[in-house]
Amino acid sequence: MKFSYEIAIAGIGATEFSKDSGRTPMQLAVECCAAACEDAGLPPSEVNGMVVFSAENNPEIEVARNLGISELTHFSMVHHGGGAACGVIALAAQAIYSGAADYVLCYRAFNERSWHRFGSGVQDRPAGAEAEVVSFSWSTPFGLVSPASWVAMFATRYMHEFGATSEDFGRVSVVDRQHAANNPAAYFYERPITLEDHQASRMIVDPLRLLDCCQETDGGQALLITSAQRARDLKQKPAVLAAAAQGASEDQHMMRSYYRDSIVGIPEMGLCARQLWQMSQLGPDDIDVGIIYDHFTPLVLPQLEEFGFCDRGEAKDFIADGNLTLNGSLPFNTHGGQLGEAYLHGMNGIAEGVRQIRGTSVNQVDSAANILVTAGTAVPTSALILSQDNH
Amino acid sequence: MSDLLTQLRSGIGIVGPAQQAPDPVNIPMIRHWCEAMGEGNPNYLDEESAEHGPHGEIVAPPAMLNAWTMPGVRIKHEEMGNPPLPKNLSAESEGEDAESYSQTLSLLDAAGYIGVVATNSEHVYHRYLRLGERIEGRQKLVDVSEEKQTALGIGHFVTTETEYQTTEGDPVGSMFFRILKFKPYTGRDTGQGRGDTGPDSGSGRGDNAGGAAAPNAPPPQLQRPKPSMNPDTQFFWEGAANKELRIQQCNNCLRLQHPPGVRCPACGSMDLGWIVASGKGTLYSHCQVHYPPLPAFKQPPIVGLVELEEGTRLVSNITDCSYGQVKVGMDLQVWFHKDPQGFSLPLFRPARRPRREQTLLLEEVKVGDEMPLCPIPLTPTAIVATAIATRDYQDVHHDRDLAHEKGSKDIFMNILSSSGLASRYVNDWAGPDAMFKNLKIRLGAPNHPYDCMTMSGKVTAIENHADDGSSADVTVEFAGINSLGPHITGSAVLSVPAAPRR
Repeated sequence: MKFSYEIAIAGIGATEFSKDSGRTPMQLAVECCAAACEDAGLPPSEVNGMVVFSAENNPEIEVARNLGISELTHFSMVHHGGGAACGVIALAAQAIYSGAADYVLCYRAFNERSWHRFGSGVQDRPAGAEAEVVSFSWSTPFGLVSPASWVAMFATRYMHEFGATSEDFGRVSVVDRQHAANNPAAYFYERPITLEDHQASRMIVDPLRLLDCCQETDGGQALLITSAQRARDLKQKPAVLAAAAQGASEDQHMMRSYYRDSIVGIPEMGLCARQLWQMSQLGPDDIDVGIIYDHFTPLVLPQLEEFGFCDRGEAKDFIADGNLTLNGSLPFNTHGGQLGEAYLHGMNGIAEGVRQIRGTSVNQVDSAANILVTAGTAVPTSALILSQDNH
Repeated sequence: MSDLLTQLRSGIGIVGPAQQAPDPVNIPMIRHWCEAMGEGNPNYLDEESAEHGPHGEIVAPPAMLNAWTMPGVRIKHEEMGNPPLPKNLSAESEGEDAESYSQTLSLLDAAGYIGVVATNSEHVYHRYLRLGERIEGRQKLVDVSEEKQTALGIGHFVTTETEYQTTEGDPVGSMFFRILKFKPYTGRDTGQGRGDTGPDSGSGRGDNAGGAAAPNAPPPQLQRPKPSMNPDTQFFWEGAANKELRIQQCNNCLRLQHPPGVRCPACGSMDLGWIVASGKGTLYSHCQVHYPPLPAFKQPPIVGLVELEEGTRLVSNITDCSYGQVKVGMDLQVWFHKDPQGFSLPLFRPARRPRREQTLLLEEVKVGDEMPLCPIPLTPTAIVATAIATRDYQDVHHDRDLAHEKGSKDIFMNILSSSGLASRYVNDWAGPDAMFKNLKIRLGAPNHPYDCMTMSGKVTAIENHADDGSSADVTVEFAGINSLGPHITGSAVLSVPAAPRR
């Protein structure tokens, strides 16, 4: 697609990440959006586009009113929870590239720990006759009600087919926490874990242990998108969008695509990968940092395989060989990921990609040129590549 | 020692007079027993097959040992307005025979220990019984325990040993047997209602449904999440209510799909119907949900992705086994859960593997081998039919009102049936010509109706190889677990042949 290398992330802004923000999600949303504008050096009133998750409960028009945005010429939403993370950026890029908007804010803000807890799942969701509610009925009456449980079903099959173990999942968690330990913004700052800690953590949904699961976070994260050209006139070094794409594949279901011939891969992420490589003209060897969506550790493994960092079924060895650490071939989740830093539906990962391009990460990878960021797995998803501005 | 205990123990060591089986070993009783137990070993009923078997003729299932001498119906015939029965047909006539034992039981009844459950049965078989042989047992009281607090109630364990021989004096086997006589509603778990709780309080066993959730946890949902349905999916739920597992099928190209849709993605037809699945499947993947807490489930639910033999998959619960017994690829069989909220769900339990027709040979078995899981649904019919087939007319095995009165929430399976079902389980695994040398069981949680007991087992020893190498003794240990916990644990020693015995 032609917006490759023409669009950039110009500003990032976040609140603190906590378990009890003490204020409303609307306040968090407005704070992080204002911070993103300030980071970019752009008055919020200049913003004329907003793209958010359909899961977002702070309407863009209310956030706009609070920010003093007078006119919006593009506003849209992306569905499917964390799968929307890079999708909102892709949609913003298309809006900007087509001329529908000049400066677009994307944000995600919630009190997901102190208000409604995400981990409690959908068991108390009211009954209804609409297709989405009805689709949950193929799993919820049996106790499969939470994101962890939906992922666990994939994890068991992956373990069965490839001989992966709980420890292989644990190594992902250990790297996340190791990187978070260096990150003052991370909830788990200065609190690394060992594989033994992981193995000793309690079962949430067997085979997933507590330390396989991302946090539940109170907080907000916003990103300001504009053309690469306009970004060059703003305060920060532009993080150029080499590519961004969405993907939904055959027989796709929300978190429960259990009915395909094989369930050990993530074909919708493979679809994103194909588009990213094609749009960016890059390949796995060009990627310097991988910000890989880690709501639950088991699905990190097939993502590495879908992007071609290793062969099918070999991610466990790729990880065990240390490739995800700062000295490895694919430094991973340098902010600490959603297990270590915060769970902001992947938006905080995109911000970390921007910091790696700017050279301001707490776990900076030397001369990082291309950063892969992925969005939620097991759902219709999205991914993007951020690159240095070579203009 | 209390006066009562002194009295109770006065009969210890005394061997009662012979209790003679009212009937010789016969086909009708064997047939009744095999039908009730689901036993299909041809050596017990199929004359032609048995002739070519290791016994050369029909033999009785060894686990029937003490069924032959059971006293039968204890209705006082005269109370029904009938003239007295001849002595040899009257259950009452046996009262004087087993003097010390029955005296002990009468003393316990008089002292308020009117509840009774059998807890242990250990059979040793010297040989199999042939048609026409009549046996008699001589029972010896060997122990009466101190008063003990048990889950069921306060009571005494009474232990006996019985030697069995034919009326010709040929010893055929022996039995170690223990019962608990207890005071109803004095159980450990009956709490404040001790002694005066109604029948609905159950047998005193705790039911952990509705257990308190951790503070700050999401509010517990006390019932299963209810399925939402609409006209596109209603056929599936209506099927479940009719005990049918339905799969959507395209009426044009016959393609199956689940979850259902509104159009066939293969041929484009919107003319969709359904077929009824066989209910057989294998496990494709699984997990066990520990969090969030789901009090609608007694245990953290085991959720399976089941691949039906028709080819489609569906999410369901795997029931009647522990998570450790759940394996990808295991064979499953559907059953239907009727939820109190009014809907039905297709659930799956381990499938019962068919009886082995070719007897296991020594070279095919090694220590550590796991026996297949075998669920035994506990219908009221199964509990009553097996009790009668073992000639056990104790009211607690067929009369719910009297079971309540004696401290149980419902009727429960008798020990001879548990023993019989265990023997069937072992026999199904080992094949018809493996021969039981003993069968030892111990009972725990009762088998009540509407539950399911799942048998599991493994080989723990292979020893006593015959000098000519023709056989060896294989020890198996087994357990039968129901929703309350282990109902039966035990072991059996089988003589397993090195080469086919027929």
